[in-house]
Amino acid sequence: MNGGLYLYCVCRSTGKNPFEGKLQLKGLGGQEVSLIQDRDLVAIVQECAGPFSSQDPKQISEWVLTHQSVVDEAWKKYGNVIPFSFDTIIVPKEGCPAMENLIQWIRSEGTSLKEKLDRLEGKAEYGIQVSWDPKIVAPKVIRHDVEIQGLEDKIRSGGEGTAYLLDQKRQEVLRRRLEIAADAYFKEFYEKIRGVVEEVRVDKARKEEPPMLMNLSCLLPKIDSPRLGEELNRIGRIEGFFVRFTGPWPPYSFVNR
Amino acid sequence: MQPTREGRASIVDLLDRVLDKGLILNADLIISLAGVPLIAVSLRAAIAGVETMARYGLMSALIEPSLRNKPS
Repeated sequence: MNGGLYLYCVCRSTGKNPFEGKLQLKGLGGQEVSLIQDRDLVAIVQECAGPFSSQDPKQISEWVLTHQSVVDEAWKKYGNVIPFSFDTIIVPKEGCPAMENLIQWIRSEGTSLKEKLDRLEGKAEYGIQVSWDPKIVAPKVIRHDVEIQGLEDKIRSGGEGTAYLLDQKRQEVLRRRLEIAADAYFKEFYEKIRGVVEEVRVDKARKEEPPMLMNLSCLLPKIDSPRLGEELNRIGRIEGFFVRFTGPWPPYSFVNR
Repeated sequence: MQPTREGRASIVDLLDRVLDKGLILNADLIISLAGVPLIAVSLRAAIAGVETMARYGLMSALIEPSLRNKPS
């Protein structure tokens, strides 16, 4: 083969696979997915002529879903997996075919790959997003706020022009109070979640409505996910807060260390 | 609360993971065949579109059946 090898994931061999086999699954572009085994590690790959690049979001989504279905199949078959980023392609280099480069890489990184697999055994990644509606939460935040109450009293008793300016000021103070509250809620929820998971990554909150307060990736033993679900139920019961809980995902966020 | 892999929020979660995370090789064996680093740029540019599409439900027909095969 003169082309590249698209690398989906690496697993620990069950010892039953031939040196090179096929998964009963089609990969990107309908290509066959192969197993390349070197000693006790297996790489799940497919041949490819080049990177998968497109400006079409639908096409990219289809590729991502295909990528994930292959990683899922390997996860199911081997029980543990190190997933790669989309479009990780091993290329032929300096006269060395991609397959040989891949095997050399597995050999040189074998110890580190096995350490990662040991660390991830029986675990999965879960996504947690907490959003909030500041309109619902605001009354609770400012219930005992002397400055805002003072401004509201003045707005009620002042003339129209003054009331407008005071209301602008009130909104500015409220905005600051909500920022402080958002930080405090973030810390409170983070600590609660941190207590029932093994590792946490804080991801960038997505821009959406209602505003996202936190976006976390958590690693934990799959059997512990009900405990995390209970903690999230408690957060979701607080008025004005909404929780999303996704997974189980292969440990995409916990393989680069 | 049970974790889910279905629905629009889940596809965005999956896209974030598959496109931005996963093991990154630092070996020089993984330059793209075309030698064009634009792939990452084009994917990120497209992602905004994907999020928007997901939000408006345009992708649900595509997404949900494929996400039903949960790992055991």
